[in-house]
Amino acid sequence: MELTVNGVTRAISSPPLTSLLQVLREELDVLSPKAGCQQGGCGACTVLLDGEPRRGCLVPVAAAEGHEITTVEGLGTPGDLSPIQAAFHQKYAAQCGYCTAGMLMASHALINRNGGREVQREQVIEALSGHICRCTGYVKIVDAVIAASRGDVDVEKEQGLLVAEPSEPAVEPKGAPA
Amino acid sequence: MKAVGARLPRYDGLAHTTGRTVYVDDVRVAGTLVAKALRSPHHHAAITRIDTSKAEKLPGVRAVVTAADVPKNVYGHLEALGVPADEPLLADGEVRYRGQPVAAVAAEDVETAHEAVAAIEIEYEERPALFDIRKGLDPDAPSIHQWGPVYPHFGPYNHRRVRKGDVEWAFEKADVIVEGAYRPAAIEHCPLETQIALVVPEASGRLTVYTCTQAMYFSLGVIAAHLQVPLNRVKLIGGTVGGGFGGKVDTAAETITCLLALKAHRPVKWRWTREEEFLASSTRAPWHIEIQDAVSNDGWMLGRRMLTLHDAGAYARFSPYGLTKHGFHHTGAYTIPNVHFDGFVVFTNRVPTTAMRGFGVTSVSMAVELQMTRIAETLGLSPWELRLKNANRIGDTTANRVVMQDPSTVPVTLAAAERVGERLGPEYTAMTPARRSGELLPEHLAAQQAPEGAHVLSNGGRS
Repeated sequence: MELTVNGVTRAISSPPLTSLLQVLREELDVLSPKAGCQQGGCGACTVLLDGEPRRGCLVPVAAAEGHEITTVEGLGTPGDLSPIQAAFHQKYAAQCGYCTAGMLMASHALINRNGGREVQREQVIEALSGHICRCTGYVKIVDAVIAASRGDVDVEKEQGLLVAEPSEPAVEPKGAPA
Repeated sequence: MKAVGARLPRYDGLAHTTGRTVYVDDVRVAGTLVAKALRSPHHHAAITRIDTSKAEKLPGVRAVVTAADVPKNVYGHLEALGVPADEPLLADGEVRYRGQPVAAVAAEDVETAHEAVAAIEIEYEERPALFDIRKGLDPDAPSIHQWGPVYPHFGPYNHRRVRKGDVEWAFEKADVIVEGAYRPAAIEHCPLETQIALVVPEASGRLTVYTCTQAMYFSLGVIAAHLQVPLNRVKLIGGTVGGGFGGKVDTAAETITCLLALKAHRPVKWRWTREEEFLASSTRAPWHIEIQDAVSNDGWMLGRRMLTLHDAGAYARFSPYGLTKHGFHHTGAYTIPNVHFDGFVVFTNRVPTTAMRGFGVTSVSMAVELQMTRIAETLGLSPWELRLKNANRIGDTTANRVVMQDPSTVPVTLAAAERVGERLGPEYTAMTPARRSGELLPEHLAAQQAPEGAHVLSNGGRS
């Protein structure tokens, strides 16, 4: 069998009923999808099949052959973030990070499906309803998706910068040892 | 000071959003074996026979370990703090909770590992099990722990006790006695990343341990003690945790994985399944809390009697520490001059309980705040004003005789009232945390008040 992942087609040797998640992680070393529950309950393994979100743990790899598979690795890199990645970073939508890849893929698909219009809060909540963030960072995640759909993200500014922006002039602490 | 007040990007934000964060499950080491455990199907049973020989002979099986392979099988997370140990790494002769690990295997692939676990011959003799902490001290309760029904090592006592003032006086003086029982339930931490460890035996004789622990130095000490090796033989690599919430303070997967790696002379990874996480990982403890408060009709809290039962599950782990924190906070953010607190850590045949987000304190805060509202309803007073009247003030002493230097109860309560649009009387909106005086210093609160400038009161023979 052959699998096309993030635009690259590779031959695979796993049996056809192996889960797509297993093949991505263990045979192809595509590590962003996570094995959170391996029974379709948590959403951490979500990848796109021809642009639609699918649970990697529930898709037999044979069913993915001939389709375009996209993972976070195919969305963007630290030097070239996609808008949804930049929004998650800018809006603090990732805490422990284990659910983030799945959240990103489902959100990316939602924004594309919506044809460039701003997504509504209810749409985001529905699109992410099968995704668990046990750190319970849902508010920031939903805000990030809406911001990305609006184009309200400064992608340039998020390219790997770690710059403090003091809200007040810096003050030297009093009595600090020299 | 450039960072204070500034909006800083998360240091790990870019890695998280580009899928590049390396969790333990993402570490790749050539030749890594897969671990699986044989877990107890019973809540409480004697192990009458165990034979691993068939499992060991299966092609592809590289190591099988049982209690007999552990250099020091019983070791406690808090032994260094004087809390004695009661929990075996691998069950030895008996199992005390469903899901308790009895044996573990390392094999070339997951199918072989499952086959090996199934090939271990084991026989159990079931014993009566206990699940309800309220029945733990009954004379006919099943015997489940070598220490008896409760953790017995709180100094000379088998329970944590707090005594202050004259609680008998308070209950004689009271206009009303308000009683409440509160039972916070167990909660599974449920991190998306299940318990996991990857152990690489290095040529130097060291073990490199990739771990999801929240507590690297606990894990280091626990591993080295079980294996009876110096600390410098164990190198931990961690700090990237796919959710923990307290559930990764216990050393769950590392030590057994170390044993397998040492025996197989190969890297071994043990990733718990979601089912194992729910079955056998520790939980937040269930509690049973009974409060009796002696109060006056005008809303003064004169005294409190309190009994707490803390469900340790099958072994002590951090429960004595959690109960101590609970006892420390048993008056909440309020000043009660006369108290009598007894807290027991009760053993049951549930999974051992552990830390979770303020453990020991969340249970007592929930009980205390519900009790405050119950008192207000009983007396027909405003729950806000009852709280403000009895709020900790500068110079008040807690049940543990800590002198309040800067208590936040008053400003926090006033801020909360403002947020929800609660209208309070002017004598309340003008309140500050300042030392009690005038109407806020009735006779019954005078003795507990520390002298100006005092920090910590000695017992002074007042217990």
